[in-house]
Amino acid sequence: MKYADMAPPPRSEHLWRYTPWHWMHPSDIHLVPEALPIRFTLDEGGPLESTPSEPSASNEYARVFLHEVARTKTTVTTSTEGEVLNLFGVASGHLASSHLHLDIQHASTIILHLSGEAEWCGLHITADVKRNTCASFALVNELSSTTTYLECQDWELEQDSNVEFAGLTIGGFRIKSDIRSNLKAKGAHMTQAMSTHGIGQRHADHHVEIHHLEGHTTSNLSAHSACDDESHLVATGLLTIAKDATQSDAGQVFRNLLLSPKARAESLPELEVLADDVSAAHGAASAPVDEDQMHYMMSRGFSPSEASALIVEGFLTAAFRDIKNSHIIDAIRTRLTVHLECHIKR
Amino acid sequence: MSEQARDAVGDYRYGFHDPEHATIRFDKGLSEQVVRDISELKDEPQWMTDIRVKAFHHFKERPMPDWGNCSELNSIKFDDVTYFLRSSNQTEKNWDDVPEDIKNTFNRLGIPEAEQKWLGGVTAQYESEAVYHSIREDLEAQGVLFLDMDSGLKQFPEIVKQYFGSVVPYSDNKFAALNTAVWSGGSFIYVPKGVHVEMPVQAYFRINAKNMGQFERTLIIADEGSSIHYVEGCTAPTYSTDSLHSAVVELIAMKDSKIRYSTVQNWSSNVYNLVTKRGVAYENATVEWVDGNIGSKLTMKYPAVLLRGEGAHAEVISVAYAGEGQHQDAGAKVHHLAPNTTSNILSKSISKNGGRSSYRGMLQVSPKASGCRSKIVCDALLLDEHSRSDTYPTMEVANSTADLEHEASVSKISGDQLFYLMSRGFSEEEAMGLIVNGFFEPFTRELPMEYAVELNKLLELEMEGSIG
Repeated sequence: MKYADMAPPPRSEHLWRYTPWHWMHPSDIHLVPEALPIRFTLDEGGPLESTPSEPSASNEYARVFLHEVARTKTTVTTSTEGEVLNLFGVASGHLASSHLHLDIQHASTIILHLSGEAEWCGLHITADVKRNTCASFALVNELSSTTTYLECQDWELEQDSNVEFAGLTIGGFRIKSDIRSNLKAKGAHMTQAMSTHGIGQRHADHHVEIHHLEGHTTSNLSAHSACDDESHLVATGLLTIAKDATQSDAGQVFRNLLLSPKARAESLPELEVLADDVSAAHGAASAPVDEDQMHYMMSRGFSPSEASALIVEGFLTAAFRDIKNSHIIDAIRTRLTVHLECHIKR
Repeated sequence: MSEQARDAVGDYRYGFHDPEHATIRFDKGLSEQVVRDISELKDEPQWMTDIRVKAFHHFKERPMPDWGNCSELNSIKFDDVTYFLRSSNQTEKNWDDVPEDIKNTFNRLGIPEAEQKWLGGVTAQYESEAVYHSIREDLEAQGVLFLDMDSGLKQFPEIVKQYFGSVVPYSDNKFAALNTAVWSGGSFIYVPKGVHVEMPVQAYFRINAKNMGQFERTLIIADEGSSIHYVEGCTAPTYSTDSLHSAVVELIAMKDSKIRYSTVQNWSSNVYNLVTKRGVAYENATVEWVDGNIGSKLTMKYPAVLLRGEGAHAEVISVAYAGEGQHQDAGAKVHHLAPNTTSNILSKSISKNGGRSSYRGMLQVSPKASGCRSKIVCDALLLDEHSRSDTYPTMEVANSTADLEHEASVSKISGDQLFYLMSRGFSEEEAMGLIVNGFFEPFTRELPMEYAVELNKLLELEMEGSIG
């Protein structure tokens, strides 16, 4: 399927309800503009080599578009057990786009730091997690506060694989991410944790799909959004359990912390269960900052903005409580602390 | 019942039907002329005819919803539906004056008996219009108006004109437009200031004819400081062809008033039940929907409340039972539009024998609704591997002081619970029946006693044969 042959998704479609396609397209929605590749480097070593991008395997609108815009594909293959890869992606120029493929064959940790000043950035991440493999992946979005960022991710989990996924959004102006995971075989497990800090007029729309295609698969998703200033944060989830996927266990929780009268938050945690012997649950909550917590902090000498920042830090960090990988937790905490300190000073 | 129909719908105790004795029956199909003819037949004021015609054109132009069970929705044959059928020349106040066949039907449904025991008033609608209507004299003396909607329009056109379509305009959705175009029957209730209607009033809706469309319209207005409990029940015969029920219900709860609207929907499983129900609650008023969906082929119904006044409260308790060939797409919508408003939504569903139940909800908090609180709980039970349960909640929050919670779970009947009951001498089937009754208990305890007993019996019947 080619982008030019496809009709733009209507706003009535769940996925595009709060972020219509024309908000995310860098120019005229009928065009496929030229974009520079995102430059990927490893902390120890130079730029990663890339190959020409291939057509999208999916017929989903954004994925087809990203594959046509991205001229290059960068593949990261894990080579040894226990490997920790710090991957840096820099989006520069007017438009930047790439396809990043993760081929995970060993227990490993990959932390992707995405930054840059591009006006528009598009990234498609695909990942194959091989049988009996434990993988930990974190994506820290530190793009410029003026960048429009379109992201799609597709994770395929094989038998007895275990993925820890952490996403921290502290950059970008307008963000649309669509993260889909297929638990394809027995014993596959996915822990997904995401935190978003909404400041200024940031609009962040995260869509997460987890599909339990086989029995004895488990997943849990925790998404926290702190909405400040005039930000608008959206979190939608679709959890499906296929007909024969008995003994599956799935849960998703969406929490919103509302910090400003003009901030908005939307949560749509959806469940589709076609098997009976399963455990599936979801929850969503929105609430303001607890006044008792503020009072406690301020009585110990913190200014209101410092107290609020600490509460926000605690709230955003709490999303990652099920992530066991210490490299990821350290990286996320560090970036979040730096971000909040800069935010207070502003 | 034909063998084919029996196969299609299973064992349904209200599936009997009477011979059709229509005094007026329109040809199948819908056109502007049909709409105008219905209006003319009822001798309606011009403004109502105009609304009907506008709604008809909106219905024709509006596409079918592209969400929900689209394949079922698209299989509705609007041209095969009879849009108006009059079975009795007038609405009677005495059961003895109701045509024999129809009276027998309502006797079998237990309506006259219930009326004597515990109801403040009854409207019995058969096909397109009410055939029987009564209200207790003491309520009438207090100024309570309880009429069928056609009589309401004739006798109180000013009130109807003021409120008709004010909560559910015809442009709201395709089926609200259809209802506005061809509505007939339903209830009109006005409770004056400070009057509390202690006993529930009831409307019973019965479809008897094949391929019949029933489009009742209900308008309930509770003036300041008043309260009323309205109960609605519905059944239809079992045919192998489909019928369509598309009602609109509008509730207006003025300051400090309370409206409770209870429904036990038990249509036969050849009925499409596509209903728009919405209430508006002003300052410190309460609107409660107690909504049970047991029957029908496809139900799409999301009782809604607009909390317009400070301190208003909404309560929605919804249960759904989806058996073989059924899709219960139910839920609730609450819009917090004013400060310090509160809402509770409790949804419970059971899917069995390949049935599908869906919860579809909307909780919206507007920027002005500071200090509002809401809690939503959805529980689903799946009784076998062929069934399905979905949850599609939406929370839209535009006020930083809102405190909202949503939780949902899907599970099967616990083996421990079954074991416990069976160890005390219950068969597996009885044990499952007890667990299901317990699961629905938060709903049944809100119903009048007679309805709760009836619902439990219905569930027991539905659970029969669920093992093995």
